[in-house]
This record gives sequence, C-alpha cells and structure tokens, in this order.
Amino acid sequence: MRYLWWLARRQPWRVLRGSLLGTAWMVGLSVRPYLIARAVDDGLRARDTRALALWIAAIVVAGVGLSYLGIMRHRTMTFLREDAKARSAEVLLRHLSRVGAVLPRRVGAGEVSTIGGSDIDWTAQVLTLTGPGVGAVVAYGVIAVVLWSISPMLALCVLLGVPVVGLVVGPLLRRLERVESAYRRQQGALTARSGDIVAGLRVLAGVGGRDLFARRYATRSQQLRAEGYRVGAVNSWIDAAIVAIPGLFLAAVVWLTARMAVTGDVSIGELVAVYGYVATLIVPVWFLLEGSYQLIRGRVAARRITDLLTVTPDDVGGPGRRWPAYVPEAGLPASVPLARRPGDLTAPDGPADLHDPLTGLTVRAGLLTGVAADDPAAAVALADRLGRYVASEATWGGVPLSGIALDEVRARILVADHDSYLFAGTLRDILRAGADDDDERIDAALRTASAQDIVDALPGGLDTPVDARARTLSGGQRQRIRLARALRTEPEVLILVDPTSAVDAHTEARVAERLRAARAGRTTVVIAASPLLLGRADLVAHLSAGRITATGSHTDLLEGDPGYRHLVARGSEDPDIAQPTDTEEAYR
Amino acid sequence: MSRLPVADRGTVRRALRDMISRHRRAVGFVLVLHSAAAVAGLAPPWLLGTIVDRVTAGAGVATVDRLALAIAGCVLVSALLSRYAQYAGHRFGERAVAELREEFVSRTLGLPVSVVERAGSGDLATRSSVDVATVGTTVRDVVPTIVIATVQLTLLFGAVFLLHPLLGLAGLAGLPSIVAVTRWYLRRASSAYLTEGAAAAELTETLTTTAEGARTVEALRLTDDRIQHGTTRITRVWRARRATLALRTVFFSVVEASYPLPVAMVLLVGGFLLSRDMLSLGAVVAAALYLQQAIDPLDRLLQWTEQAQRGFASYARVLGVGLVPPEPPGTTASSRGERLVVCGARFSYSDGPDVLHGIDLEVQPGERLAIVGPSGAGKSTLARLLAGIDAPRHGVVSIGGCPVTDLDPAERRRRIALVTQEHHVFIGSVRDNLSFAAPDASDDQMRAALVTVGADWYAELPEGLDTALGDGARQLGAAEAQQLALARLVLADPHTLILDEATAALDPSTARRTERALAAVLVGRTVIAIAHRLNTAHDADRVAVLADGRITEIGSHDELVAAGGAYAALWRSWHTPADEHRR
Repeated sequence: MRYLWWLARRQPWRVLRGSLLGTAWMVGLSVRPYLIARAVDDGLRARDTRALALWIAAIVVAGVGLSYLGIMRHRTMTFLREDAKARSAEVLLRHLSRVGAVLPRRVGAGEVSTIGGSDIDWTAQVLTLTGPGVGAVVAYGVIAVVLWSISPMLALCVLLGVPVVGLVVGPLLRRLERVESAYRRQQGALTARSGDIVAGLRVLAGVGGRDLFARRYATRSQQLRAEGYRVGAVNSWIDAAIVAIPGLFLAAVVWLTARMAVTGDVSIGELVAVYGYVATLIVPVWFLLEGSYQLIRGRVAARRITDLLTVTPDDVGGPGRRWPAYVPEAGLPASVPLARRPGDLTAPDGPADLHDPLTGLTVRAGLLTGVAADDPAAAVALADRLGRYVASEATWGGVPLSGIALDEVRARILVADHDSYLFAGTLRDILRAGADDDDERIDAALRTASAQDIVDALPGGLDTPVDARARTLSGGQRQRIRLARALRTEPEVLILVDPTSAVDAHTEARVAERLRAARAGRTTVVIAASPLLLGRADLVAHLSAGRITATGSHTDLLEGDPGYRHLVARGSEDPDIAQPTDTEEAYR
Repeated sequence: MSRLPVADRGTVRRALRDMISRHRRAVGFVLVLHSAAAVAGLAPPWLLGTIVDRVTAGAGVATVDRLALAIAGCVLVSALLSRYAQYAGHRFGERAVAELREEFVSRTLGLPVSVVERAGSGDLATRSSVDVATVGTTVRDVVPTIVIATVQLTLLFGAVFLLHPLLGLAGLAGLPSIVAVTRWYLRRASSAYLTEGAAAAELTETLTTTAEGARTVEALRLTDDRIQHGTTRITRVWRARRATLALRTVFFSVVEASYPLPVAMVLLVGGFLLSRDMLSLGAVVAAALYLQQAIDPLDRLLQWTEQAQRGFASYARVLGVGLVPPEPPGTTASSRGERLVVCGARFSYSDGPDVLHGIDLEVQPGERLAIVGPSGAGKSTLARLLAGIDAPRHGVVSIGGCPVTDLDPAERRRRIALVTQEHHVFIGSVRDNLSFAAPDASDDQMRAALVTVGADWYAELPEGLDTALGDGARQLGAAEAQQLALARLVLADPHTLILDEATAALDPSTARRTERALAAVLVGRTVIAIAHRLNTAHDADRVAVLADGRITEIGSHDELVAAGGAYAALWRSWHTPADEHRR
C-alpha cells in the first residue's frame, strides 16, 4: 500500500488533473440525455424551431466538448499509468542489477518474469482510481441531484437500483472471468505443446515419431474444443443475464416514469431523460466496481514487487559493497552508504599470492597455474572460495579475503565459470562487458580465445545480435565467446573454470598457446583436466580428495603422480568407448 | 536465412471462404439468431416512442402498463435469443480454431528440417505461439463481437430508415468523418501496437535475464551496463506507448465528436418533418434513441477492427507454413545392407561457396569411424549428409547402394540416427518422451533402456514412467536430458549412429557421465563420431581428418601417428608433455 501511495505521490499534478478531467467527463456523459430531453420538450413538442436549433447546436458542441474531455482524461490517465510502470521498472531494474549472485538462490526467474510482465501493470492500473474513480463518485452525486429535482421517489429507485444491479452483475462477470481464465490456462498449455513440438522438431527429425506427436496434439486439441463448448454453454447464459438484468431494470424504471407522466408528475422530455440517465449511471457504477477489484489485485502485485525489492545482497561474510537502496518512503530499506569502512582490511597493492587453506593450494602471483581436479565439484568450490563467492579462510597476500571490501575483490579477481551468463545484445555488447567500446582489445581477446572464426561467420560480424544465452551458437562457440569476454576484462587475477571443455582438440591447442602469451606476467588459474592446457601452465597442482596432493610441472606430475596421469590421459587408459559395459550386456 | 513464406491476401481470403463454406449451416444459423435477438433489442426504444405518443395523446395507465410489460418481454426474448446465438457462434469458433491449429501442427511436423533451420526456429516458434493464438482469439472473440455489432448497426439504421427515409439519411451524418479517421488509424495502428508489444516484451526479458544472470552481473561488474541497457528499454517502451497514444488521441477524439452528429441531424430533420406533420413526435424520439443506442455497437466495432486486422495478418503467417512443400516421401521403402558410401560429395548452403569439396568415404557395417578436424572444416555438414538431412549438391551418399535421401524419411530415421549436442525434453511423462522412438516398446523395455544409459535418477522419480517432465513439472538437468535422449536411441535401435559432438555442450563432469552412458548405446552398431576429444579418435577403428572441406588423412590411429602428419602432431601435443613449447 505504501508502495502504491509512493507511486501516486511522485506525480501529484497528473493525479489532480486526472481526477478533475475524470469528474468533468463523467458528469458530461449525463449532459446529452438532458440536452436531448430539452430538445424534445422545448423544440419538438413546442414546435419552436429556434429553441430546437439552439438545443441541437448545444448537443453538437457538448459532443465535441465531451470528446475533448474524454481524450484528455484518457491521455492523463495513460501518462499516469505509464509513469508508474516506468518507475516500477526502473526501481526493479536497478535493484536486480545490484543484488548479484544471491538472487537466483532467492527468487526464480519465472517469478521475475511475472513481476516484470504483469505485476508492474496491475500496480499501475490501481492509479486509475485517482481519476475516473473520483469522477465516478461525483458523477453519481450530480445525477442524483438532477433526478431528485424530477422526482424524489424516482431518484431513490434509480440511485439504489443501479448499484444493486451492479452488485448482482459484478459477481457474474467475475465468474465469467474465472471460467474464461481456466480455459485460457488450458489453451496456454496447448500452445506450449505446439511450441514444444517446434523446439523439438530436430529431435523428431533425428529419431522419428512425428505421426505420434501429431496424433497426441490432435487429441489434446479436441479436448480443449470440448472444454470450450462447456465454457461457451455456461458463459453464454451469464452473458445473457448480464444484458438482461440491467435491461429489465430499465424497463421497470420506464414503467414507473411513464405512469408518472400519465398523471402529469413528470414531463415527456423528462421521461426520455430518465431513460438516458439510467443508461449513463451504469458507467460510474461500473468504474467503482471495477476499481475495487483492481485495488485488490494491485495490492497483491505491489506486495510481490516490494518483496523482490527487499532481497538484500549477500556480503559473503565480510564488508560488502556500496548499497544504495532507494525510496525509503515507498517502504523499501534505507541506504547503507559503504565505501571502505574503518574495520576493513587493506587489500595487497599489487600482484600477490592467493592461498586456500582448505585444499592447501597456493596460487603464485604472475604465474599461470593449472589445477587438475579428480572431482569437478571440488574444483568449482575451490574457484568460489578464491573469488569469494562463499565465505572461507582464503587469503590474498596474507590478508584474509573476507576482510577486504567486496567491491575491490570483484574488481581485481575474476572467476569465469563454465556457465557464466550471456546477455542478449550484439556480440560487441557481450564482449566489451560493460567497458567502453574498443575493437582492438576485443579483437585481441577473440584471437586469444581462437574465436575470430565465429565472428567472421556471422552476417553482421561483431554487430550481429545474439539471443540471451546465445542459443543460436553451438556449445563450443559459446564457450569461446565466454573465454574471450573474460580475457577482455583483463583482470589482475583470472580464474578460468574448464575454459575449453567443449572445444575441439585443434582449437584447444591453439587457445592453450595463446592464453599463455596473453596472460604473461599476470596471475591466472586454469581449472581443467586437458593435457593441452595443463601442459602450458607454469605450475600444475593436482587436487585429489579435497587436498592438493602434488605440485610441479605437467611433466613432473605425469612422471611422478599416477593419479594425475590417469586423470589427464584418461583417453588412452580408460576404456570408456572401446568396450561394452556390463549393464549393456545385461540388457542385450 | 530465408524466411518462411507468408500467404498473400488472396490466399487468406480463399481460406476464409473455405472455412465459412465448410461451416455454412452453423454460420447461417448464428446470423439468423443474432438478427432476431437484435430485432427484439430494437423494440424498447420504439415502445418508449409509442409510450410518448400515447401519453401525449392522453392514454391511461393501463396502456402504459401494457407497453412497459412489452418492453420487459422484449428484453427477455432478446437475451434468450442472443444466448443461443452466442452459444452457436462459440461452438463454430471452437471448431474452426481446433481445425486450424491441428492443421498447423501437422503441417509443422511435415516441414523438412533443413527449411526450418534455414528460416531459424524463432520464426516458426512465433507462428506457433503468437500467431495461432491471435487467430484463435480473433475467430473466437473478435469475429463474434464484430458480427453482433454489424448486425445491430444494420438493424438500428434500418429501423431509422423505416421510421422515415429522410431520418435514415440524417442518421448517416457523422459516418464520413468516422470512416475517414478509421482508415487513417488502421493504416498505422497495427505496426504501432506490434512495436509497443515488442518493446514491452523486450523490457520484461531484460528484467528476467538480469535476474537469471545475476552472478555474472556481479562477477563482471555489469551493474551499470545492465542499468543503462534496461533504461534504454524503458525509454523505448515509453516512446512506443506515446506513439500509440497519439494515434488513439486523433482517432477517438474524431470518432467521439462524431457520435452526437446523427442524433443532432435526426432531431433537426425530425423537427422539420414534424412541422409539416409528416411524422409523429414518438417516431422522432424513437429515431433519436436508436441512434443514441447505435453508439455502443459502433464503438465496439471500431475498437475491434484493429484486432481483426491483426488477426488477418496472423492468419496469413499461419497459412504461410502450409505453403512450404512438405518433406518428400522416399522413393525406396528399404535398402539392402548397411554399408555407407559417400562418393564425390560436394555441398554448399544456399548458393554460398562449397563447404565440402568432393568427399569420398566408405564405412563398413559395425565400424567405428572418428572424424576430427578444426572447427569450420565441415564436420557437422558431413554428418548431416550422412544422416540424409541435406542432399549433396554433387555426388551421392548411399546406404546399401541406395541414396539416403531416396529412403522413406521414417525408415531412414529408424536406421540412421543423428545425435547432436542439442537435446530436448518434451512436455509430458517419461513414457511420452521415450515411446515415440519405438511405439511398440513395453514398460520393461523402457526401464531397461534407462538403466542401460546409466539414468540412475530414474529410480528416484515418484511416479516412475508416468512422472511428468518439463514446464512446471520436474526439470531434467543437461546430463539427465541427454541420457533420456540416449535411452530413446536404445529403444529406436538404429543400425547406424552419427554422433555430432553429442557431449560438447555439457560441463566436463556431466560429459564424462554421459559418455559412459553413450558407450552402452554404441555396442554392435556402425558409429560415426565427430569428436573434439582425441581419446575418442584413439579408440575408433579409423580416423578421418577433415580440413577445409576435404579429407586430408584417413586410417587407423596408429597408422596416422606413424605417418607423421597433422594428426600425429596434434596427438603428440595432447598425449605427451609439450616440452618443445616450454621455456
């Protein structure tokens, strides 16, 4: 609620303008019945041509005026809503961009997509209440006064009757919506099926089974059709009721008024006007019913937005980063200004050794260190500790890593993990990784990652747009782009996790050689099991059962560590592909 | 990339006519019922006019009672008629939409894979989701609304004409400006709304992907970049919404200012006729009320026209899929033997330069051939030729003496399976995901296949083969998905397997597990493996080195190493410490 209030308070003038225009427009709606009534009474019935012409001119002018009011109201309300949407989107965007690694653990991507796709809209929709909502109340009052001047008894009937009709029809409409939305869900599931078939078309082409899928789809489609019949049977009754109930009410009012016309209590023109008033009164009553429903949904939506906005970043066991959360008046946490706080430890000024006490690994400054791990999960955990994605005892130049401001750690140590995210954009956008455009450095990084052929093969070169996750590229291509991006940022310490596992041996050999040259003199860790990469490292460590069991050159380890030899040369000793396994024989 | 075709206007019109004539009786029934309902709906204003006349003439309460009761009766009859009209219309819509989407899916399934790949699967995906849905809503919701509104308008104006032809003509005042502004609006609206929708979708995607890639944002310190990126998206949405708002501003202000014109003109002409006693006061009142009543259907008609136009455009794109010639059925039902022979094969992608320059290759049944080579050498293209997905531009690829592309597609798939790094888990149960590879397989065979490929996660599934997978149900990891794909192969039991870097997209530990599972599938079959790991090549019977679209070396691993060519150099750097490179 505070969030909604905050959104409205950001634009007080629009809210004011919206409510004024909304009121004027709604009141204006009842002007035409009045004018028609006067034209009938004073002009036609009295056979007064001048009066008739006057009232007709008034009808035309009022029509133009009403259309002006209507469109200005619509424009103001649209701006009001769009402003709220843009504001919500911006607050969310800034927050999502800052929360960092903790986010995927706390919130599913689907949830963010719902919030971004519909909750923002629902929240903004509530602001409609400020315009037509206010207008509806005033318009209702004005019509009440006019009717009262015609006949108090009639006024009572109409003023109470219309809301009652609204209250009867409202739930019917909700029900209509519910039945519809159940049908739409089923329809969505069917659409997902056809999307699924499109996505899996290549699999079906590879293995077969097209007919089966066509039949399965047809069965589901027929089920949906049958469901559609059922929905249609119910909904058409509801629809008929929604039209019939107000129609019957109108008939009753006409009957009442006509009897009064017979007795001379109301004039003929007033009879016609009442008919029109009842019809126009539907509009404000409708707005109010709709508005209350929007308020309920909007509050739920706003709650979901603020829930997301209160997810705080994880400082992984030490001093964190600058964290300006905004808008405390919208019920969001206040900012915690943070650069370097007094208790922070000073990071080493220049290149320094990294040490992980848990495994006993020491990464020498300025060297290319290879780490071969028996258990890939242990290798990933090691990278997380060295890059402080988890709290640990790791040190950097003797200083505990968790005592250094996280901003500084992130700026100087880069962990390039296997599935680091590729955002949608042109290849250049991806590769420049937030830095200024510099094709020369991008080209150098591409060359090192042996990824130039990917760019050359694309129609627009570096300017070719790529989907999120770069789905259009192959696994090996994606991996090389990721590597190029990591190299391009030229971090002081670069930790690469399996940088070439999906790349063919020819290319891998090239990458290994170039990587070594490109990172000469800078601290680099390569976690991999490939002899091509490890063979180029200054120093190789073998991580086995959670500890570093041997350190030395690739050659030394090949000769002195049988476990290492087995690990990196598994192709020649591990008969994976050559012989059938036991299970296979059991199956045959 | 060549896009999928879009049907032209004539084709769409023909298809619409066909659809209507197929459901001729239903359409006629719906129209008659709606007209009857609208006639009943016209009575109240006319009755009110009658009341006005009678009361003016000094009629009593009894007359008023009778007429008021008649109004109520008309309301009820109209509601009842429109209920049945709507229901019948709804059934027609459902039937038509079901026909349409089933036709679309079966056409899609019949598309040759190469066409889909060249057009990009994104285009087809949009057609299957957005376009089919748009046509669906149009047929189900928009068309009925438009039909009802048109029927009502026709009758309302008809009624005014019946009251007096001159009144009718007066009622048409205001129409010219509405027609003109509507044409103006429709020419611009669709593309403006599509731009708006695309901008909004882009913003949502930016928010979603920023959340998905939050760790990368933190690691590469992309915060400012993401904010900047998102801010331009927000600006774009704002601008697109302003553009549509500008269109609406012109459209609705002209239209709404035009609405009172018919009423005003009818009163004016009515006053003139009344002064000559050419018609009654009640008739003028009724005509004014009819025209006031016409505003509502007119408004609905105008609001939905844009939607209808968009539905028409979507329908053209849906029909476009049917214009692609389906995959040709093979000329030969089966072939003798399993010997795979490639002879002088050349290939180029759509008039581009040749990717393969005359490949000659022979693979014996049961042989294991590894193909290695740098990226871009044409390995994947060769795999596609071997699997019969593409036909060589020159030369021939044959199995058992019969060109693979002449084989019936279903038969070909049964015999030669292509496994790529792409895997896809279909929405549905585990059984659904397996059975299409071998429709006759029993549950036991499926379970055995899962065991064979090392899918030990299967044991933990709560409902066994009936466990639902995908979207909103259990999500499989990359390795699990690939194992499922391999289990399919075990069931399909092809004699020849072509592996195109089947495990390259997986992380190394997963790849290792999957390769072990793969080994179980390969036994006793002809295997052609495109490999990026040299250990795979080492284990094969023969190795072919592909470079620049040519086979440069071929032979057993030992022969190639002994020959001392490019392969031997690579093998040495892979397998022995690279002393020569060290300082």
